[in-house]
Amino acid sequence: MLKITIDNQTTEVKPGTTVLQAAAALGIEIPAMCYREGHSCHPSCMVCLVKDADRGNFFTSCAMPVAEGMNITATSDEVAAMRREALELLLSDHVGDCEAPCTLTCPASMDIPLMNRLIAKGEFDKSLEIVREQIALPLILGYICPAPCEKACRRKPIDGAVSICLLKRFTAIDASRRNSNLIADVVKTGKKIAIIGTGPAGLSAAFYLLRTGHNCTLFDKNELAGGAMRYNIPEEKLPREMLDAEIDGIRVMGAVYKMNHPITSEIFENDIIPKFDAVILATGNREYQPVEEFGLAGGTDHDFADKKTYKTLRPGVFACGNMIRESEMAVRASAQGRMAATEVGIYLGTHPSVKKFQFNSSFGHLSKPEQEEYLKESIPGKPIEPEGGFIAGFNEQQAIAEAKRCMHCDCRKPASCKLRMYADQYGVNRKKHLGPERKPLSKSIHHNLIVYEPEKCIRCGLCVEISGKEESLGLTYIGRGFDVRISVPFNETVAEALKKTAEACVIACPTGSMAFKNQEERI
Amino acid sequence: MTPDHEHIIQTVEQIIAKRGTSADAAIPILQDIQQVFNYLPDEALKHVCAITEISPSRISGISTFYSQFRHQPAGKHIIRVCTGTACHVKGATRVYDAIARELKLTDGQVTDTDGLFTLEKVACLGCCTLAPVIKIDETTYGHILPEKVGEVMQEFLSKNQHDNHKGKQVLASDAEIMGEIRIGLGSCCVASGSEEVKQELEKILAQTRINVHVKQVGCVGVCNQVPVMEIIKPGHEPAFYAKIKPEEVREVVLSHFQPSGLFNKLKTKFVGSFEKAVVADEPKSFRKYLLEQRDTPISEFLGPQKTIASENRGVVKPCDITEYLAGGGFTALRKCLGEFTQQQVVDEISMSGLRGRGGAGFPTGRKWQMVKDQPDNEKYVICNGDEGDPGAFMDRMLLESYPFRVIEGMLIAGYATGATQGIFYIRAEYPLAVKRINEALQICRENGLVGNSILNSGFSFDIRIFEGAGAFVCGEETALIASIEGERGIPRMRPPYPAVKGLWGKPTLVNNTETFSLVSWIFRHGAEAFANIGTSGSKGTKVFALAGKVNRGGLIEVPMGITLRQIVEEIGGGIANNRKFKAVQIGGPSGGCIPASMYDLPVDFEELSKVGAMMGSGGLIVLDDTDCMVDIAHYFLSFTQDQSCGRCTFCRVGTTRMLQLLDKIRSGKGKPEDITHLEKLAISTQQGSLCGLGKTAPNPVLSTLRYFREEYEAHIQGNCPSGKCMPLITYSITDECIGCTKCAQRCPSDAIAFKPYEIHTIDMEKCIKCDICRQVCPVDAVKVG
Repeated sequence: MLKITIDNQTTEVKPGTTVLQAAAALGIEIPAMCYREGHSCHPSCMVCLVKDADRGNFFTSCAMPVAEGMNITATSDEVAAMRREALELLLSDHVGDCEAPCTLTCPASMDIPLMNRLIAKGEFDKSLEIVREQIALPLILGYICPAPCEKACRRKPIDGAVSICLLKRFTAIDASRRNSNLIADVVKTGKKIAIIGTGPAGLSAAFYLLRTGHNCTLFDKNELAGGAMRYNIPEEKLPREMLDAEIDGIRVMGAVYKMNHPITSEIFENDIIPKFDAVILATGNREYQPVEEFGLAGGTDHDFADKKTYKTLRPGVFACGNMIRESEMAVRASAQGRMAATEVGIYLGTHPSVKKFQFNSSFGHLSKPEQEEYLKESIPGKPIEPEGGFIAGFNEQQAIAEAKRCMHCDCRKPASCKLRMYADQYGVNRKKHLGPERKPLSKSIHHNLIVYEPEKCIRCGLCVEISGKEESLGLTYIGRGFDVRISVPFNETVAEALKKTAEACVIACPTGSMAFKNQEERI
Repeated sequence: MTPDHEHIIQTVEQIIAKRGTSADAAIPILQDIQQVFNYLPDEALKHVCAITEISPSRISGISTFYSQFRHQPAGKHIIRVCTGTACHVKGATRVYDAIARELKLTDGQVTDTDGLFTLEKVACLGCCTLAPVIKIDETTYGHILPEKVGEVMQEFLSKNQHDNHKGKQVLASDAEIMGEIRIGLGSCCVASGSEEVKQELEKILAQTRINVHVKQVGCVGVCNQVPVMEIIKPGHEPAFYAKIKPEEVREVVLSHFQPSGLFNKLKTKFVGSFEKAVVADEPKSFRKYLLEQRDTPISEFLGPQKTIASENRGVVKPCDITEYLAGGGFTALRKCLGEFTQQQVVDEISMSGLRGRGGAGFPTGRKWQMVKDQPDNEKYVICNGDEGDPGAFMDRMLLESYPFRVIEGMLIAGYATGATQGIFYIRAEYPLAVKRINEALQICRENGLVGNSILNSGFSFDIRIFEGAGAFVCGEETALIASIEGERGIPRMRPPYPAVKGLWGKPTLVNNTETFSLVSWIFRHGAEAFANIGTSGSKGTKVFALAGKVNRGGLIEVPMGITLRQIVEEIGGGIANNRKFKAVQIGGPSGGCIPASMYDLPVDFEELSKVGAMMGSGGLIVLDDTDCMVDIAHYFLSFTQDQSCGRCTFCRVGTTRMLQLLDKIRSGKGKPEDITHLEKLAISTQQGSLCGLGKTAPNPVLSTLRYFREEYEAHIQGNCPSGKCMPLITYSITDECIGCTKCAQRCPSDAIAFKPYEIHTIDMEKCIKCDICRQVCPVDAVKVG
């Protein structure tokens, strides 16, 4: 047995154990991308670096066998900085988007490409479900959203953006689908939440609070719910039946609307604060309702609430929507309503905080030849014009056709990609080492099971090894140095190269470079 | 033109029949295929996969890894532009650009439309003293000026046509031997025309019936004076002729020897009168030196040197075993086999203090001990002759000139470590070295020096040659081993060290060529004698390729501990053209720049690494005040970046990003924060890379940042203080212009209007900074600012 000390913990291991394995046995997690249990270990990614505390040098822990008396630092700022640098270098040469530009532009971060793919497949129920993960009011927003997503759409400069807004409305247009019991399986928390204001922020907060098992009461000084959406937007833009329908849907879920119910400072202190477990303020622009009435310091700045946690200075009182940031976009207020609802759940201890990826790789515009690569996954043609005009919207057939125009700009492995996971964990700056120009990207989509995107590859070579064992053709390295890439010998196709091992390659691939063609990680 | 199917299949089958079908034969097979077709036709590769164990994946992987291999048909002739350090500082980039212009090559194109010439860059042709150098097929041209490239190509083509009409040379043999004439036939000598000198000499000797022994000797070392001819006549001082031209040979020969026979005397006189009539007068262009004479450039050059690896320099004929034996050759081997146990041999090497000459300076004795201590029956000894540094050609010289010495060193190592197989790993760019080693090995086999029971000692050891295929990283021992195994030259993680688990998983000793060259001397003179030379930590001598801005460049062997000043001033004769000494770049792409303020630094492993440089394999380039340090850093980094195997992130991406930052700084677009960014990235690349190539690649950047940071800062301000960085310089013509129009006629980009008898002007919008106008101006009216 060999003695090794890692991060001041000493253990004994069998000869042949690597430092990475010894660390794992001690519960010390070391990131690794090119390393995979059961495969030959040939370090390349360099994110598993650790430091020899006695000699002062860094080495890859995945391939280093433990030697007697080793003293290793696996967790320190210096080691983290080296790993971060390796990740930043990899990302500087990683031409790929984790999320599509539309999703990144959407104030609510709606998973637009996934919605499109589900519509294209005719899976309408699922598409609405995906939309509602981020957007509580798809029907209303399907009329009034200015759709920044469409301005970012990669299809726009080619022959017109995908009509995302109309597709989103389409997912919610069917009343029975929209009102299918959304809270059937929800465990009630017994908590009571007051929401002041019934605009997009308040309604959205109510929707998500109800879906997470809370009781909700909405207060509004007006006669009808909807806030600015009702009182500022003309009927020709937003048919009132649609507005009413979605507001009523929330009532069906259990919301209690207390209309004609202005909140004065007195009511707030006597009837709201003592009787509810939490309060969400969503009263819109502050000219309508000064925050001082809720016992909060006002002034011209919107700094009475934290922009990330939506917490005000008063415990249990949250604020969202236009009161904290004025915006013309209902979708932004609506997104804040959702996030405030999440924060309330965390505050009340009923729902744990779920860590989401903050990191996004993103590479900017497509060149002409790259547009061709992207169009491979789509159908040709300009956007479909709805027959009855914008207000009428798409029928099923049109919606499917339009959704098929989406080019699948998002990554196929947004959840399992190790590069994204570690980039997130190590807080990388993806632009730190960007070169003057990026490599041109391509997509190899002709294999019936998988898609290969060479510019997302980190050159770990796992697929070369896996395919080399069983395939007659297999994959290979082409070239060397910065230009080295994984490709198929003699310019054959990936389909020809991977007849038996495609699945194993995808599973081993640490990034989105090799992915299953028709598998969604987020359903 | 694509070769036909039948021809391809037949050729491949012949090659396979010779090379075998195992996977490790892949590289030699590819080399043979390219030899026939000038490139690797896909069809040939597919057929190789069909009839051997070599997989499509392997053949594609290796054929795109090594730079020797071409996948497109090449032109009829190949022009290789040397981009070694010495050539770089003397303007190789402009030479390359000028040839590309001459061939009308557009972006990415390397072969002209007629398919006559293919243009390639080569890391180093090893003729640093003739820089800048190009090689067209087998002919090397030195001191190339961009404006002359057209003429050179014309000359090549016309000479190439007449090549077939060479006359047969007859040598006189029946009369009394009157003396010996030695001609250096190292690669530098040949490049400078020694072959022509030799042909002329043989012709004259045949005509005059002067009966002297003509001897081809290996590298003489005084590469700055080549071609050289030395005349030995009994009873006379040896005379040394430097920079001799073929047309001068007759006079030199006749000044020493009398033609035999009256008729010949008359005829000679008659023929001679057409040339230079008076034999007694020295022709002007060449120099004659007596070796014993003091204060001549030759004696100064050779004076401070100490020859061990290059013992008997310029005296012995490379493949003459009788001569090698006469000089004490193989006595060391005899001694080891007869008197020493294996352990005693290792101990002797340990006591000598010998350290590896490949660069890092690992103690040789310790390495031998590690291999010896392994219990395996099968062990290997590899001679690392994959000298890939730009600006270094020590290994080439040693292999070409002293093949027996290197073999003897390997044999002793083989005996000491208990190995049974030796392999020479030699760069494919060194055909002469391969030829000489092959010849020498054959002679050794015939003489019982290689093979079964060497010298009847019971020790058996065979040696073969493996030709590298063009990858600098294969100088790294684990990459070299991967390459012999028929794989891409990717370094492997150490441990396990090759001494424990190397070639085919067996204990393997990998030593540099120069290291092996020193071994026999140690046994002939004793470990103590070796240890008495040098400093406390660095024993013995070191061979350097001295080049750059010195008066006398060449291959030198100096005792460790000698100062840089002694090397540059005494051996090198100081800085050329009355410029100022600025720095020495030592250790090639892994080394660093040492500034003038450290002129008295002793050459020693520790001292060099303390100042941020390293011994490296022995390139020593002298820089003067016209050299830009940012440009030098960029030059070396572009080399390592290009040679990175691409395996680990820091080297693959890190060196690329560093190079791009240097590009930005060099073109005046840098921001102050780019310097710190570059420095930080250089440090993490140094710390994080997997192998020696990546770990040392940042050295040229870090050392120039350390000693010449102000030059980086000046570039940020938009100014290149040395006037080297093309994007930051402008050309102009002063009032001294006489209106001769030479510049206008030669300008390749029409930036100078043709105005006879007027002062010319340069349109900077059109100027491509090729420097031709400055070179052709007869009155130095073109200024660079």
